[in-house]
Amino acid sequence: MEYLSLFVKSIFVDNMIFAYFLGMCSFLAVSKNVKTAAGLGVAVIAVLLITLPVNYLLNRYVLQPDALIEGVDLSFLSFIVFIAVIAAIVQIVEMLVEKFSPELYSALGIFLPLIAVNCAILGGSLFMQQKDFLNIGEATVYALGSGIGWFLAIVSLAAIREKMSYSNVPDALKGLGITFITVGMMGIAFMTFMGISL
Amino acid sequence: MNTNNNVYTIIYTTVIVVVVAALLAFVSQSLKAKQDANEKAETISQMLTAAQYGTKADMDKLSNTEKLAKYAEEIEQAYTINVNGEKVEDLPLDKVYSPGELKRQNYNIKGGANKTADPELPVFLFKNGTVVVPIYGAGLWGPIWGYIAFEKGSSEIKGAYFDHESETAGLGSKIKDDPAFQAEFVGEKADFTQANVFDIVKGGAPKDTEGKSLKDNQIDAITGATMTSQGLDAAIDTWLTAYAKYFLENASAKQHCGKCGHHQEGEDVEPKEEEE
Amino acid sequence: MDAKLKETILNPIFKGNPITVLVLGICSSLAVTVTLKGALVMTLSVIVVCGISSLILSLLRNTIPGRVRIIVQLVVVAMMVILVDQILKSFEATYAIDKQLSVYIGLIITNCIVMGRIEAFALGNKPWPSFLDGLANGAGYGLILLVVAFFRELLGSGTLFGVDILNRFGYVPNNLVILPPFALILLGCIIWVQRSIQKDLQEK
Repeated sequence: MEYLSLFVKSIFVDNMIFAYFLGMCSFLAVSKNVKTAAGLGVAVIAVLLITLPVNYLLNRYVLQPDALIEGVDLSFLSFIVFIAVIAAIVQIVEMLVEKFSPELYSALGIFLPLIAVNCAILGGSLFMQQKDFLNIGEATVYALGSGIGWFLAIVSLAAIREKMSYSNVPDALKGLGITFITVGMMGIAFMTFMGISL
Repeated sequence: MNTNNNVYTIIYTTVIVVVVAALLAFVSQSLKAKQDANEKAETISQMLTAAQYGTKADMDKLSNTEKLAKYAEEIEQAYTINVNGEKVEDLPLDKVYSPGELKRQNYNIKGGANKTADPELPVFLFKNGTVVVPIYGAGLWGPIWGYIAFEKGSSEIKGAYFDHESETAGLGSKIKDDPAFQAEFVGEKADFTQANVFDIVKGGAPKDTEGKSLKDNQIDAITGATMTSQGLDAAIDTWLTAYAKYFLENASAKQHCGKCGHHQEGEDVEPKEEEE
Repeated sequence: MDAKLKETILNPIFKGNPITVLVLGICSSLAVTVTLKGALVMTLSVIVVCGISSLILSLLRNTIPGRVRIIVQLVVVAMMVILVDQILKSFEATYAIDKQLSVYIGLIITNCIVMGRIEAFALGNKPWPSFLDGLANGAGYGLILLVVAFFRELLGSGTLFGVDILNRFGYVPNNLVILPPFALILLGCIIWVQRSIQKDLQEK
């Protein structure tokens, strides 16, 4: 039951995009069509799902004060360790995508390596450190929920953008400009979830 | 040179990681003493601010040595208590609790997998009659902590100061930067009989027609910083609940009437400051 | 060569602005633009970090193995930021500055502009142009940050750099302005203005 509430909470209430506004760059840039957006969304879910449990274990058994050796506090290394783990996983994902879906690889362009600095991913690890999850199961459920939340957000924005090509938007606002404004509106709408406590 | 060679890649990565880790470990170890001294002076200035020895800006004008001297002059007594409100041991008068130590006690208070020992909660008594206790918890991005000063033997708050590691500038960071927010705590009364000792209310605490909040233990949350406000609320509740027995016992040992502002020692009247 | 260098410096400020054209560094531009002071601190930090990390990685560019380049880039950037933080923290005189900056450390490391420019420019160019490209992109980013922060602080708190401007005339601060969605809408409007002037940037 706790897992379920954590899962639902991390998708809607703590949505990475609309509650924390993390991972916006690739969210805005790679949402022109649903197919590419879904590809990036899956990549983000995959990276979150691998990095969060790994970082959880590292944090629990290496980085926390007294975790590795009594009296040694390695927490000053946590930023760089999290980043290195994320970068390594992203590098592997990049190689896999390049090998199995060259089409998606070229569509994502620079935003595939940029998943490494996608704040949603590092944010996930830092929130995990904050939330003091009791076991690796909770960390994994949280990763899955956050990833799905991000996936749903980018797919729904891409769907709106596809429909928007039929509407009459001022020339200078077309594309990026109207997307920013749309996301702003979606963000305001998502604030209604904030009061819900699960 | 073929930089895509497997052996080269592995050696290169290893060298980079070792160099970076060694450099960071070296810098962090060699500078630790200096950083700790700065952190201690900062902690002292925050406690003195909470205990109403001046504003934070006044404190920041002092050098580290002056801060320590001021603290040595004003501190009367410091000891740790357990959750039953019993004194565990006296603390040396120059001992303060760094955020790192507060974090460990926070785990101990909350229990769970990270608990290492029973909580030992510090209490600092100052010569101006204030009792300062720390709080610690999670904000939106990182840890938040702070100090709340109570009138000795009472549940009335005399002052508060909060700090954070990385809350949003201009929103969550107001818990530290906005003296008006900290001033809201002054004169409020914590309700130690409830689990919800103190409330930071989103959208504003219910107020009467004169704009005074209806309950003594409620203040307004910071607009736009919902998560930080919630985190601070939870941190205060968690820590003050742990201190509850200590404060309740002290209040009945030494009666103090908050409303009229004078001491009524030895009387058996319960302080009726809180509504039920 | 000189014309090319000039182009490297001027392009990121307006025509190839990292925020409004390249769509990099959005998260931090939402987080730090509530006050002008925050935006200014962030701008200066990003200019410095972006310039220096572009320079270092451009110097290393021929030695970095392609398959681990992301790790190397991020580790170098993160290390530099953490080092600066640790050093500032150790001196009494700079401790106060560090307390102001520590808020931004995570945001600087994960700022896509730093890594975006390393990927797109520094790895393929000589150190000097890379350094300038880093500085210029930091400046272009900062320009937008300051414009957004100007409106958000003025309308959201009625102040500029913490000095009361509108409140004395009975202005009631608009709370919507300090929420992140408004920053997005404002950025949309800035893009609108920019593309009305620079018609070649318009999308079909």
